[in-house]
Amino acid sequence: MIVIENVEKRFGETTVLKRINLTIEPGEVVTILGSSGSGKSTLIRCINGLEALSGGSITVDGNDVSTKAGLAAARRRSATVFQLFNLYPHMTALENITLAPINVLKKPRAEAEARARELLKLVGLADLASAYPQRLSGGQRQRVGICRALAMDPNYLLLDEVTSALDPEMTGEVLDILAELARGGTTMLFVTHEVEFARRISSRIVFLEQGELIIDMPTERFFAEDGGFAVPRIRQFLTKMKKD
Amino acid sequence: MRYADFTPYDLVLLAQGLGVTVGLFTLTTLVGLLIAALFTLVDYYRVPVLRQVIVTISEALKNSPVLVQLFLVFFGLPAFFHINMTPFVAASLTISLNTAAFAFVIFRSGIDAVEADQVAAAKVYGHSRWQILRFVLLPQAAAFSIGPLVGLLVNQLQVTSLISVIGVFDLTKIGNILNLRTLEPFIVWTVVGLLYYALAKLLASVGARIEKRLRRSVVWEGI
Amino acid sequence: MLEGFLLTVFACTLAIIGAVIIGALMASLRTSGNRIVRGVAFAYSDVFRNTPFIVQLFFFFYGLPEIGIYIGAFETGVIALSIIGGAFVSDVIRSGILAVDQGVIEAAKVSGLSRWTIFTKIVLPIALRTSVRPMGSVLINMVLTSSILSTITINELTGTAKIVASTTFKPFEVYLVLLVLYASLTYALSLLINTVHRRLNRAMDTGGAA
Ligand SMILES: Nc1ncnc2c1ncn2[C@@H]1O[C@H](COP(=O)(O)OP(=O)(O)OP(=O)(O)O)[C@@H](O)[C@H]1O
Ligand SMILES: [Mg+2]
Repeated sequence: MIVIENVEKRFGETTVLKRINLTIEPGEVVTILGSSGSGKSTLIRCINGLEALSGGSITVDGNDVSTKAGLAAARRRSATVFQLFNLYPHMTALENITLAPINVLKKPRAEAEARARELLKLVGLADLASAYPQRLSGGQRQRVGICRALAMDPNYLLLDEVTSALDPEMTGEVLDILAELARGGTTMLFVTHEVEFARRISSRIVFLEQGELIIDMPTERFFAEDGGFAVPRIRQFLTKMKKD
Repeated sequence: MRYADFTPYDLVLLAQGLGVTVGLFTLTTLVGLLIAALFTLVDYYRVPVLRQVIVTISEALKNSPVLVQLFLVFFGLPAFFHINMTPFVAASLTISLNTAAFAFVIFRSGIDAVEADQVAAAKVYGHSRWQILRFVLLPQAAAFSIGPLVGLLVNQLQVTSLISVIGVFDLTKIGNILNLRTLEPFIVWTVVGLLYYALAKLLASVGARIEKRLRRSVVWEGI
Repeated sequence: MLEGFLLTVFACTLAIIGAVIIGALMASLRTSGNRIVRGVAFAYSDVFRNTPFIVQLFFFFYGLPEIGIYIGAFETGVIALSIIGGAFVSDVIRSGILAVDQGVIEAAKVSGLSRWTIFTKIVLPIALRTSVRPMGSVLINMVLTSSILSTITINELTGTAKIVASTTFKPFEVYLVLLVLYASLTYALSLLINTVHRRLNRAMDTGGAA
């Protein structure tokens, strides 16, 4: 369980996150929506410890991310997929995937590689194991990025706009995989602008507005006329998203 | 007092050596930059043959040790052409040419760095190649070149120390003399090193100031 | 002159290995979190880059025996050359380190890799790859600088040439040949560097490395 309590984040004078409260239970797929600059990425970066909290607390399965040991434990339980993939450019797809399992989980190399090949097969990249990122298309890179995250056997998958650097066709490739994962019961915290997709796979939707979490609803309620849609700000956001 | 001890006169010696180093550095820098400018013109106007010669000379100078160039000029030229050569002339000639070879490359890439389409635009307005060079390329190329040029000159300042080997009484040569006389290598070479260091820092800070001003003027003209 | 040539190649090979090791170490220290460590590593590079090699060489050559360290001229020369080379190499690698994509480092951090693993398995290898070319000009410079070793009685290429020039009374011809020899040596080295660059970067997008 990820528990976010009264989280505040300031960069100098500007407050980017204001008293955020959010709990993610195992098995849930939670989508974070919100306009640009509302603090979605920052929230994800607070959970995986890339940003230090200015206030409040975050625990991942009881591990407090603001302590050194807690963060290390939290990072073993969650894995992040990035918007710009952030693959290690000097390593093959396989090496990208096995680096952390070997060095962090202390898995034997053979076991890590077998698992990596299994994952690559799952995302349809079985024959690109020894390709370097530069040779891969954007969609392929992101699928490797997902494999790299899954190889850590994470309890939670954090995804920040993982398709926004991809063209529609590649977006489809990646979303299909995520949908598959969601069906398989992977717990995900998911930032996206793909509203339709979020509607399809997520169990809950939260909405950030200028650093405040103003809505937290089951997906169906969120899209219902008398639910999220009844909130003017949400309706405005959703209509705008449809037009784009 | 031992004969070998430091004397106040040693300070005068050091000052003299410093003077020779600074003087020779200034002279060779001015001459070197002038030659480099001429080289760049030849290259810019694509003068046949001469251009190839210049590129070859500059490559040879860049890819061989300055010490060897000094030996070639100081020992080689007089023996082969039966001319007279003093250490100072040999040193000035060699370092000037060496500076020219490196500065030429910097100037050329400075000009290359200025967008080709700007030149095309200028051509459309019927400017001559000289006008393009003078008013379009040069001001910007100068701004591009100044950073690498300062780096080069700081390096060439260190290079001047080699002229001591052919007998010019520069700072390093004075260091040699004091070192042999006093047998205090740590003190002597630390002091000499510090003087070079101070000169290098002075040069770099002056360079940085010029660069700032040049860049500002280019930006200003650009608007 | 063949012996002198071989001695130059030998001295340069040792010094280049030394310089790359020192350079990588110093570059690592210069990007470390500790202010004092950073300062010391910066001072090292700053001092050795801004003073003439010949002064450094004399400092070691005449100075070391004063404090009871008696090593041969050759050893002194190789050490001095490694030290100045290391100063330049450390600058090159440091820029390489600073140029490593922050996102890649973040990906490594969140996967729980230790700082040490991130540095040795990700940051440094990427930095070394992008540094090959600029490092190449540093190494070529070291080869040219090695001629100065002749001033402390080492009969490497230049030292031997000096002897030959004075015994044959043909300094012009001898030094011209010497110049060509050095040019060939640096040319060979640049070919080698290009090959290494291609090999290492074949697979990797080095970003904007000019
Ligand atoms: N390191 C930083 N320093 C200062 N301000 C920052 C920093 N990182 C983010 N911000 C600011 O925090 C606010 C929230 O940024 P964040 O990236 O979390 O938004 P977002 O919701 O992910 O937006 P987008 O949809 O465009 O990705 C923005 O105003 C941004 O400018
Ligand atoms: Mg974002």
